[in-house]
Formats: sequence, structure tokens, C-alpha cells
Amino acid sequence: MARRYDTRATIFSPEGRLYQVEYALEAISHAGASLGILAENGVVLAGEKRNIHDDLCCSVSGITSDANVLINELRMIGQRYLLTYQEPAPIEYIVSRLCNIKQAYTQFGGKRPFGVSFLYMGWDKHYGYQLYQSDPSGNYGGWKATCVGHNSQTAISILKQEYKIGETQLNDALRLAIRVFSKTLDTTKLTPEKIEIAVLQHDDKTNETTIRMLKDDELITLIKQYEDEQSKLEADRQKQQQTTTSSSTVEKEKK
Amino acid sequence: MGDDILSYNGGVALAMKGKECIAIACDKRYGVQNRTIATNFTKIFQYSDHCFVAFCGLATDVQTVSERLKFRTNLYELREQRKLKPNVLYNMLTNLLYERRFGPYFVFALVVGLDPKTGETFVYDSDNIGAISDNVNLVTVGTASEYIFGLGELFFKPNMNADELFEATSQALLNGVDRDSASGWGAVVYVIEKDKITVRELKGRQD
Repeated sequence: MARRYDTRATIFSPEGRLYQVEYALEAISHAGASLGILAENGVVLAGEKRNIHDDLCCSVSGITSDANVLINELRMIGQRYLLTYQEPAPIEYIVSRLCNIKQAYTQFGGKRPFGVSFLYMGWDKHYGYQLYQSDPSGNYGGWKATCVGHNSQTAISILKQEYKIGETQLNDALRLAIRVFSKTLDTTKLTPEKIEIAVLQHDDKTNETTIRMLKDDELITLIKQYEDEQSKLEADRQKQQQTTTSSSTVEKEKK
Repeated sequence: MGDDILSYNGGVALAMKGKECIAIACDKRYGVQNRTIATNFTKIFQYSDHCFVAFCGLATDVQTVSERLKFRTNLYELREQRKLKPNVLYNMLTNLLYERRFGPYFVFALVVGLDPKTGETFVYDSDNIGAISDNVNLVTVGTASEYIFGLGELFFKPNMNADELFEATSQALLNGVDRDSASGWGAVVYVIEKDKITVRELKGRQD
């Protein structure tokens, strides 16, 4: 690792890497996890939530003080569009504008990049429900399901196996979110205090988007559903094991 | 008419205070000097559950100031995570207007509001560079403001209920605009109470 090149944020290393960006991503991997899942009829976001405007909300992973500055900028971007065009800003427009700002800190100014990754969930009339992720490099992408922060790799591999494209409804997405969290959080038992889940839905009739946090009793129900599923799976597995051992002992006797 | 920018488009608004209720009303005319262009140009805008503002004066500034104020109030609600109170909205507006002290917007404003918990009423007005008034019983702005002031003072009684307040406000507005060629062509009246807001459209002399 060529440490001589790390002192300036805005230059490449000989291997063509931007170390400061990579170090920022490293900072984020230690932060609390955020999870986002797109459903056919809504979007689910788990983690520390911040509202940007009526139809867009995001969750933060990384250095909170850096995040506060960027959240403010996101809100201003949304309002400036609304002032000029008198209609709500499209989701990708806001994400894209913020990412251009984040990219500037990797190329000019001599300042360090922001140590935050965002997951954005929103609805607009152009593309319906959307989920985006952005990182310190200023890169962003649209996702069907993704995770950032601590243990995100484990979470992503579970999502890859379990997420069903085109078939996931909101309740499936919520169940999947609980399943991912119970496997990736460092605690043995999942309780409502440990997670914060928000759901975004758009009512086509009233043309209103609601972003709501799941209440404790809803979380308890989901967690209990998950635990019941798990204990049922465990019971089935135990029964399977018993039948296989008994059949092997019978075979031994025959011999 | 003549060269006066504040009477180029015409229009008028009035607000009155009652017992735990407020009424705010405006005419619907949009004109260019003596030509009437539209009769659906209302000058009242809502900024919070129980906060309303009316702007009278140059129509382009009515639109721009209301939109720029919305910009600021949206950010306030996002950052503070709470809805605006009438006195805060009033201070934001007067601050916005004073920022343009030496190249001002040509709108006079009325800010009204109600605290839904206590029933406390707020009625304020402002000139186009953000001069603050006290929390008063009756305010009017616009080309017919003097005529409506006279009628308003006549019909006003302290502690009116919502229905009496509606009648007093409507009569003051409708009869006042009849004396002014640049105002009229219908009216809209909002009556704001603790638990509900009623909007009524009035048909007066269509001239």
C-alpha cells in the first residue's frame, strides 16, 4: 500500500485507486447497517431515517455530522426544483445532484470526501417506486434490494438468494427485512428497540405519498412471525435427522 | 390606475378575528389596469394546518412571494420536524420582504392563524417591506382596502362566533369591492376554527 499518496485526497495512487474514497468506505463499514427493499406496492427502508421531501426519504450510514450537511443539501435541492418548476423533484434528479457534489470532493478542493452512504426510497410520477444507493465516491445506482454499513455483505448475499424479482409485495419485503436483520445484527434476540423500519407508499387515487415508521407492536408481530417460522424449520430439521439416524441403525443391524 | 404599481393588477383581501376563530377573504379578479383577464385568481395561500397568508398587489409578486415563502416554510418543517405557528410564519414573511428593502416586492400581506390547542387567534398585516403590526382585530390590504376597512369596523363585534364572523367578513368584502373598479368578480372566504376550516365561494356583482 503506497501510503505516500494518501495525504492528498484528490490524487490517484500508482495502482489507479483513490485511497481517501476507499478509507471513507471503510469508515462506513463500521457504522450501523441500513437496508432497503423495493416492493411492487411500496418501499421498505430500515435504519436511521431522514426526510427529504414529501415523496423522498433516506437512511444514513456513516459519520453523522457529514450526513447532516448532506441531508440539508438534499432538502435544498428538492426545494429549489419545486420553486422553479412548481412540481415535486424527481428522485433521480435529487440523488444525481447530490452525487455531483460528493464527486467534487474526490477531484478538487483538497478536502476529504464525505464519510456517508445513503439509501434513498421514494416515489415520483416518472418511474414510480425507486430505491437508490449513493456512496462517498459520488457513485449512485438504482437497486431492488441492498444494504450498507456493518455486515452488509452478509445481508446482500441473503437478499440475493431470497428476493424475488417481480413478486415481492410490501409484507414480503418486511418479512425479508426482519430475516436479514436477525442474521446480521450482533445480538442474539431481535427486539423493536434495535431496529427502525419505515415504509413508503403512494396512493394513486389521492396522489399522496405516505412515509411511516412501523410501530413497536407491528415490529413485534413481524419478529414473532419470523421466530415461529424459524422454530418450525428447526423442528422439521430435527425430525428429518431422527428418521435418517433410525434408518442407518436398522441397516447396521441387518448387516 | 395610472402609474401606480400597487394598483396595476387590483385585488383586495381582508381578515377578521372572532372567538377562537378567524376569517380571511379575498376577491378573485385578475386584471391589467382596466381590463379584466381572469376571475379565478385567489390571493390566499395556506402554509400550515391553521396558518393562512393573503397577498395583494402586483400579481407576479403575489405568485413569487407566495412560492418563495413556501420554499422557506417547507425547509423549516423538514428541519424542525414540526408545523409552523402563525407568529413564526409572520416573522419569516416580514424577514423575506425586508431582504429586498431597496428593490422591494410590490405586495402587501395579511397573515392569520389559530392555535388549535388554546384557540388563540393571530391576525397581522405587513407592508411591502416587512413592517410588523400588532395582533389586531381587523386587517385589510389591496386597492379597496380603505372602503373595506370602513365597513369592517362597522360590522365587527368582539368575540363573534364562526357564523357571525363569516357574515361580517363577507358583507364587508362584497360591499367594499363594489366601490372599486379594480376589485371584485367574486370572493373566497375561509373560516378557520379549532377543529375545521370552511371555504366558501361568494358570487357578488360580476363587474
